Order: sequence, then structure tokens, then C-alpha cells
Amino acid sequence: MKKILALCLVAAIALAGAFAQTLSGTFTWGGSTTVGPIAQQALEQFLKDNPGVKASYELTGSGAGVKSLLAGQYSLAGSSAELNADQIAAGAVATPIAMDGLSVVANKNVKLANLTKANLAKIFHGEITNWKNVGGPDMRIVVVNRDESSGTFASFYDIFLKSFYVDRTSAFTKDAIVTKENGEVAAKVTATPGSIGYVGIAFADQVIKAGGRELMVDGVAPTVANVIAKKYAGSRYLYAVTKGAPVAGSVEKAFIDFILSAKGQAIVKSADFIPLVKK
Amino acid sequence: MKRQRALEKTIEATLFGAAAVSVLAVILITVFLFQSGLPLFGKVKVSEFLFSTDWAPTAATPRFGILSFIVGSFSVTGLSLLFAVPVGLAVGIYLAELAEKKNSRLIRSAVELLAGIPSVIYGLFGIAVISAASRTLFGGSGYSVLSAAIVLAIMTLPTIINVTEVSLRALPRELKEGSLALGATEWQTIGKVLVPAARSGIVAGVILGMGRAIGETMAVLMVGGNAPIMPTGLNSMVRTLTMNIITDMSYATGDHLTSLFATGIVLFAFILILNLGVQLILKRTISQVEGAAGA
Repeated sequence: MKKILALCLVAAIALAGAFAQTLSGTFTWGGSTTVGPIAQQALEQFLKDNPGVKASYELTGSGAGVKSLLAGQYSLAGSSAELNADQIAAGAVATPIAMDGLSVVANKNVKLANLTKANLAKIFHGEITNWKNVGGPDMRIVVVNRDESSGTFASFYDIFLKSFYVDRTSAFTKDAIVTKENGEVAAKVTATPGSIGYVGIAFADQVIKAGGRELMVDGVAPTVANVIAKKYAGSRYLYAVTKGAPVAGSVEKAFIDFILSAKGQAIVKSADFIPLVKK
Repeated sequence: MKRQRALEKTIEATLFGAAAVSVLAVILITVFLFQSGLPLFGKVKVSEFLFSTDWAPTAATPRFGILSFIVGSFSVTGLSLLFAVPVGLAVGIYLAELAEKKNSRLIRSAVELLAGIPSVIYGLFGIAVISAASRTLFGGSGYSVLSAAIVLAIMTLPTIINVTEVSLRALPRELKEGSLALGATEWQTIGKVLVPAARSGIVAGVILGMGRAIGETMAVLMVGGNAPIMPTGLNSMVRTLTMNIITDMSYATGDHLTSLFATGIVLFAFILILNLGVQLILKRTISQVEGAAGA
């Protein structure tokens, strides 16, 4: 009996040792600021479960994250935009980890509930510069845009502007405030009368709490139900990006699997994003 | 004796080494900057880079024109000096010539504190107070040349105040005493004798402040609006050379990245010219003071 117990103990220690060995090391990950809350909360739990692993997620923007991944500085990057052809050619592989909606937000003094997709595009193109032209108050529109590295910028262009303005560079008006973070958009939109901007759905709460408003697009509100049903135009996936497909047994693969597990998707939900619907 | 000699030699060598490191750092940075930025001019004409306002680095046919940002840098810096120089001069003169000890100590520590505040705090203050005030008073979005210039003016004040005070204090006492003995009032003495005599030092201080203003990044990024357009007025949004570098740096690749280094070269050249100006002026001040002391 004692022998069996001892054997079990040895086996258990060996097993634990083996686990600790497969999942250990120090990792630097980073990318999309939108993915940030998911990655950081999931990491907290993941690191607790795997004491041998040290990892961090830096908020650098989707484009910068994938660039660092391909350059070998990161072994995993978060992206809020689909990979472009160049990135795929360079070996980047994206795994969807959550869904998100793009919310169009405006300052509280913009008394308006809805914008059509066409008018939204015209506002960001600079063709419409006064709210009265879209049924709002007589007030100059202040456009708050993101820098080009942002995945939210790329998604916003793909979803809302591309069908009207094919050339990405000239699609957006240059007379716009250029911000570097969702949080900065929220701050500038709530502080600037007449302003309009766009953020990930998780950040819309920040704007609303600070007294801003969220607009419907084509009469559809950016609610979770509408995003899942793809009724709302501004829906998108968030991705974990690896160089080459995630390798079985690697810490990166374990982390992606953790986010995709029930526990991980609960974190996605608690971070105000939308869990992937199980097929 | 011999051992002491050796010790001294070692210390000397160590200090020389430390000095060499700082010189080496400057050389390395310069070489690195030019090496990374100059290749751009194989593809883009220098004149186009400097004199075109078309900045579209990620377009299908990329265009790199930074004139808007050069104009942005200079308009913001120039305007900030317009605000900061009169105030800075006044405070410097007050501290050097008029203030009682208790007052001057209080003001001096406030000015030192002002110099120690991180620029991101200036930026936050700018968003919350200056942008809002400029919006209410002058309209527009509040993120503008004017807001950025006001924030920069506050940031450059300590430099101008300090250098003004120091150069006034460095004047030989005989100048002031002589003037007062001849029957000039205190105000005449300050305005007609002391300030003109300290002129070179004061100018150097202004140029140092200008250097700080033109190189500042974070605070102007937060209140300038960062739109890549040619500023058309005080209410217009603005992007400076430094803002342009920091906005695109995280993701730029290829020629775009090179163009940011080239933007850095332009900034470097401006700051170099300013610094050379300061040194020239300081040299003149020193020879003037020596001349005065000799006479």
C-alpha cells in the first residue's frame, strides 16, 4: 500500500514537473489596444494557472503588434483587424478569439440618434461638415479619427468607408483630430462639442458614462444581440496572431486555447466584448 | 609617491572616459539618424520633402511632404515665445532686482516646480483647461495652434526666467551703482542700463526656451489636434515635426519609416542651428563681461 502511494506521489511529481516544463519561460506579447482588456485579464488567470510562465501584453496597436510579431519581438500579437495580404504572405496566422462591435460615438450636445451609413462615410470623408445637414443641430462637426496603426481604424475603414471611397489614404478628411487610443477618443469626444468618433463597443460605455452618446447606424443600435446576429453593420472579430500556425504544446497555443475555453470566453464577456458563438 | 601618481592617472582616465561616453553618444545618435534618414532622398527629392504639404505615406503612391509640419512647429513655437518672453523677462527682472528675499524664494521654488512637471501633465491640463477655454473664447475645436502655443509658453517660462535672472545677477555691481549714483531712478537703471547690458544672456535664454518648445512632443500631441494639415490660423489644428514622428513611428515600415528619420534630421538641424546660435551669443557675452571688468 505504502509502495503504491509512494509510486503515485513520484508519478504526480513527475507529471507536475513535466507540465511545469512544457509551460514555462518569459514572453512578451502585445498589439491591439482593443484586445488589451481581454488579453490582460486572461493573462492574469493564465499566469496564476501556470506559475512557470511570465508574460506581458503591451498596448501598441494592431499594426505595430503584427509588425513586432513578424520581426520576432513578440511571439503572439493581438489584432482587431483582419490581416492584410502582406502580413499573411509574411507568415502571420490569425485565430479569432472574440467578437466586437464598432460604436459610433458623439458629444452629448449632438442631439441626434441615428446616422445612415452613407452620411457617416461622408462625415469622415469631410464632405458633410455641419450636423444640420444630417438632421442634427447647426454645429460644426469635429471629426476624431485614429492613427493608421490602429486596428479599429482599419476595421472602420473596411466596414464603413471602403464601399464609398476606394483609396484608403484619401478616404478620411485630413482636418481631423488624430488620436492614438480608444481611451483618448472617449476623452476627446466627451470633451469636444460637436465631435464624432468611433471606438470598440467595450469603450462606448466610457463615453456614455462621461456624458457622451452612442449613435445608431442605419437604424440599428450596436447591441450585443445585433452584433452576433450581424444585423449591426459595424461587427468584427478580434484575433490572436502568431507567426505560423500555433504550435501544439507551446505557451502561445495554450494561451489561445485558454481564451477559447469557457473560462476564457467568460473573461471576454466580462471585458464587455462578445464571446464567440459555439458552432 | 609612485602609487599615488598611478591612482591619479587612473582617476583622470576614468573621468576622461566618462566625458568620452557623452561625446560618443552624440556622435552615435547623429550617425544613426543620418544613416537611417538619408536614404529617403534617393527616392524623394529634398525639395519635395521640405516644400510639399502632401503627407500620404501609406498611399499606393506614397507622398512625403513635411512643409505643414515645419510650419506647424515654427508657428506653435513662435507664438509660444510671443507669450512667454514678456512674462519670463518680467519675472526674471523682478527676481533679480526688485523682489524681497522672502518673495523671491517663494517664486523661485514655484518656477523650479514648473520646470519639473512632466510634459504629459501639461498635456492633461491643456485638454481640461486650455482647450476648453480656447473653444469657449475663440470657437473651433479647441485643439489648435493657439492651445499648443499656450501650453508651450507655460513650459518654456522656467528657462527664460532662470536665464534672465542669472544674466542680470552676473552683471558687475558697478553698473547699477554707477547708474543710481548719476541720479537715474531704479526703473531707468533697469530699463536703460541693466537689461541692455544683459541682453546677450537674455537672448540666449530665449533661444534655449525655443529649443525646448520645438522639441516638445507629448504636451503638444495632446492639445494640438494632430491633423496632418497646413495650419491656416490660430484655431486651426496642427501637427508638428515631433508629433509626426511619434504618431507614425510605432507602425511605419520601409520608406515611411525612413521618412520619419528624415523628419528627425530636419528637427535635428533646426535644434543644431539654435544651439550654435546660443553658443555664439554666449561667447559674445563672456567677452563683453571680461571687457567691462578690464575697463
